Amino acid sequence: MNCLEFRRQLGADPQSAKADFLRHRQECAGCAEAHARATGFETTLRRAFEIPAPAQLAESILFAQAKREQRQRQLYRRSAVLALAASIVLAFGIGMRVRAEPLTSMAVDHLREEAATLTLTKPVAAQSVREAFATRGITLVDVPEGVSFVGCCPMGHHLTVHLVMRDNNQPITVIYVIDQRDEARADFQREGWRGRSVPLGSGTLILLAQDGTRFDEVEKTWRAAIGPASGSARS
Amino acid sequence: MSSKQRQFDALVRSLSGDLFRYAYWLCGDEALAHDLVQETFLRAWRALDDLREIAAAKAWLITILRREHARLYERKMPQFADVDEIEIAEERGTQLPEFTGEEGLIRNAMLRLEPKYREPLLMQVLGGFSCEEIARELGITPAAVMTQVFRARQKLKVMLTGDDKGSQVHELS
Repeated sequence: MNCLEFRRQLGADPQSAKADFLRHRQECAGCAEAHARATGFETTLRRAFEIPAPAQLAESILFAQAKREQRQRQLYRRSAVLALAASIVLAFGIGMRVRAEPLTSMAVDHLREEAATLTLTKPVAAQSVREAFATRGITLVDVPEGVSFVGCCPMGHHLTVHLVMRDNNQPITVIYVIDQRDEARADFQREGWRGRSVPLGSGTLILLAQDGTRFDEVEKTWRAAIGPASGSARS
Repeated sequence: MSSKQRQFDALVRSLSGDLFRYAYWLCGDEALAHDLVQETFLRAWRALDDLREIAAAKAWLITILRREHARLYERKMPQFADVDEIEIAEERGTQLPEFTGEEGLIRNAMLRLEPKYREPLLMQVLGGFSCEEIARELGITPAAVMTQVFRARQKLKVMLTGDDKGSQVHELS
């Protein structure tokens, strides 16, 4: 390292510990003197940089951090409570919606899901019909004729006996909902189906067909079969 | 107290002073420097798990502080002040005890130094960084860092002596 290189290094980094820098300082008196002057300036410079930090600086930072952490925790807690409240409201809302959905609408949905039952034509034995109702805790007084399908189906959260009757080759779906009795008898139309809802016994009889002209007759036979109160519902 | 909290407390107590000084020379304002240091530590708390070596903590915190300072200036709208107000502010600054005597002269000179010279000098003298480390932090070459710290010292000397002939300026290649 020559003097020029030494002075450049000295100006850029007086604290340099590079071997050739230190060697040149030992070998050259002029540069050693310049180094001493530079070191003095560095000491003054360093002292000048050392302005006093505000008293309690660390404490104020730690206090701010503790406060922010506390706020964060409160926020998390509040969010958790809000999320819980939201899920309760949501669950309640869904529950209400399920409860509020009318039987007639559920019956049409069920019929759509089990549309294949409408194609069955072979008569079902009266004993099978009795057994299906017996499974639901209902003893039939009589068994109407012309049943081509019988099954114990769940409909939403309701228990039902699902039947199909044939009249002049036209299927009529009969769904007896065991565990919910509608307030009043009503005829309805939904999604191209004609229907009738009849409070019967401890449940509701729902009739569905393309044409409702035979509903009176079918209702009459089922009123006679089920009776005013035909036993208690069983799951 | 969690081990993270203990580590954070130790960092704050050992480095907040240095960081404050660094912030002060970066922005030239005590209150702003205080806010910068506080915000730096609050950010550091959130990212403390990223700190692998405790020995690298100071450099890591200075990096956060520099980013915070840059963000502050991005957010800050340009402010136009009357020239008389600026003179009054400078007079107030120079009347403080820290700005009297020989060290006071250097401090005033430091505040007048352009940021492109002041910051690398600050990193070297106050931060204890090597030219290579400063180069990495500032995104420039080590040779450019050497030139800037060299010129920073020369400019300070000129400001202090009022005579640029008194300082031999050796340009770096």
